[in-house]
Amino acid sequence: MDTTVNPSLAQRLPGEIDEVDLIPVRTYWQMVRRRFLRNRLAVVAFLLLVVLIALALIVPTLTGEMYRKTSLIKPYAGVELAAPLGYDDIGQNIFLRLMKALQTSLFIGFAAVSIIFTVGVSVGAIAGYFGGWVDNILMRVVDVVLSLPSLFLVIMLVAFFGGGNVWVIVFAIGLTGWTTAARLVRATFLSLREADFVQAAQALGASRFRIITRHMLPSALAPILVAVTLGVADSVVTEAALSFLGFGISPPEASLGNMMTNAINYMIRQPLLIVYPGVTLILIVLAASFLGDGLRDALDPRQRAEG
Amino acid sequence: MATYVIRRLIQALPILLGIAVISFIIVHVAPGSPIDKYRTPRVSPEQLQNLIRMYGLDKSLPEQFFSWIFNFLQPWQTDGAGNHVAWGFSFSTGAPVWDRITERIPATLLLMGTALASTVVIAIPIGVLAAVKQYSLADKVITVFATVGYAVPSYWLGLMLIYTFAINLNLFPLFGMHSLGKTDPLDVGWHMILPVASLTIQQVAGWSRYMRSSMLEVMRQDYIRTARAKGLSSGQVIRKHALRNALIPIVTLLGLTIPTLLSGAIITEAIFSWPGLGNLGYTSVIDRDYPVVLAFVMMGGFMVIVGNLIADILYAVVDPRIKY
Repeated sequence: MDTTVNPSLAQRLPGEIDEVDLIPVRTYWQMVRRRFLRNRLAVVAFLLLVVLIALALIVPTLTGEMYRKTSLIKPYAGVELAAPLGYDDIGQNIFLRLMKALQTSLFIGFAAVSIIFTVGVSVGAIAGYFGGWVDNILMRVVDVVLSLPSLFLVIMLVAFFGGGNVWVIVFAIGLTGWTTAARLVRATFLSLREADFVQAAQALGASRFRIITRHMLPSALAPILVAVTLGVADSVVTEAALSFLGFGISPPEASLGNMMTNAINYMIRQPLLIVYPGVTLILIVLAASFLGDGLRDALDPRQRAEG
Repeated sequence: MATYVIRRLIQALPILLGIAVISFIIVHVAPGSPIDKYRTPRVSPEQLQNLIRMYGLDKSLPEQFFSWIFNFLQPWQTDGAGNHVAWGFSFSTGAPVWDRITERIPATLLLMGTALASTVVIAIPIGVLAAVKQYSLADKVITVFATVGYAVPSYWLGLMLIYTFAINLNLFPLFGMHSLGKTDPLDVGWHMILPVASLTIQQVAGWSRYMRSSMLEVMRQDYIRTARAKGLSSGQVIRKHALRNALIPIVTLLGLTIPTLLSGAIITEAIFSWPGLGNLGYTSVIDRDYPVVLAFVMMGGFMVIVGNLIADILYAVVDPRIKY
């Protein structure tokens, strides 16, 4: 895995070795990892995201339905070991609700992004590879979707097609958000179409599907990866906005958005109720955007890894 | 230039048609019908049939689409009494959609325009300061603010402002545009401060970041070094040489923001109960007021196209190298 010296050196005479050959050879991904690990902010963001995902996976799984258990004697009850953030207005454990909400938000974020990725990459790859009228039509579709007021469209879709259903939310966010990914992939494909290695693959008789997926797509991976990371944050924020406005997930299910809506009514009595989901949301967005920035710098092949 | 604008507008027509088709399909495929709320024992089947005929719901989808889009493109049509009927009537109030939309425009224009103006006035100097004094304390503070401000969701920020300034400090009203029985501008301004602040903080975060990186990019250019070398003061270099060029990319942001001048900010308007277009869009989705929803989406799409066009024209204005 680690650095190796140029293997062809063994076949050469000592006099023919110049300094250039002694620079350790690293693969692209080794350089990416090196560059990424040097960016302390990005590493912290990555770890934070890992912690958030772990919490969202572990806590609700261990505690099951406890997040929606109300209690008559516990409204506004203070902090205790089982409830590090206390209890809300109907005696529900705030910490457990917050973790369940985190799980819901992250699930919707990642599920929506996988739709964004699938649709965006397919459309972009087809448009960029075939060009011509195919490209023309697909790009006009992109223009239309880009011109639609996206938040309003998501609200419309979710409100009209069964609010509260997680999958409707996922599809609404996914189907309105794929245009950036499509444009990125298309741009890369257009520039690669005439590249020598693509023509070589064609000459060797590789199928179109193979050329697109095995030869061209890896080159477009870097910008997509960044877009996907930022897309998770965008989707989480959109979901929270939907639930906040009352179109998304409604109680007793927990979502960062509906926790905020509920908290409005108890703003004077328990102002912290509104702080918890907000801070969680901000942490997700900050982590994703620093991770995205870090990935962008690390994946950029023009940045040489020095030392 | 004129031919360019005309060509762009013609190119926009298929996009508008696409927007119309998509939103029309969504609205019509949506489960539930606008006359559902009349399906009560008190409404007779004949009356229901009349309603269905009146709303044109008995015709085929393409027929409904073409009659809608044909009328929609001629909003100046009026009936005998001078009502603008071409956009249809609101299902929830019965008023012409045109009236419901236009009556909301001033409030939204006022709110979004003030927010945009404050954004420009604050974000550009801040961004320039951060770039000129790169790595200074001021730069770090601005960068942290911009990063955090960018991550804070607007609705949460709005709620925090309400909690701090309206509930705790009791300095500003909780919501709305007017106090009871008051219509003077001072009262409106007082109501506007919190929603404008919540919009501005968010926008300044994004704009100042953009401005900073654009300015840094320009400051690296050879002509800046030339300007310095020929002995200009650093103030002159920044104002006359750097700033003008650094503003070019900002035009893109302006183009992206212009549509919100008319479509409003749905969430901010909803939180503060601001009587603007965003709030109208929000309530019309809840009420399933399809004619208003359709008009809202169409206007939103139209504004995006207009915003992009304005941005492209502004490019040519601020950058004489660009010719159309």
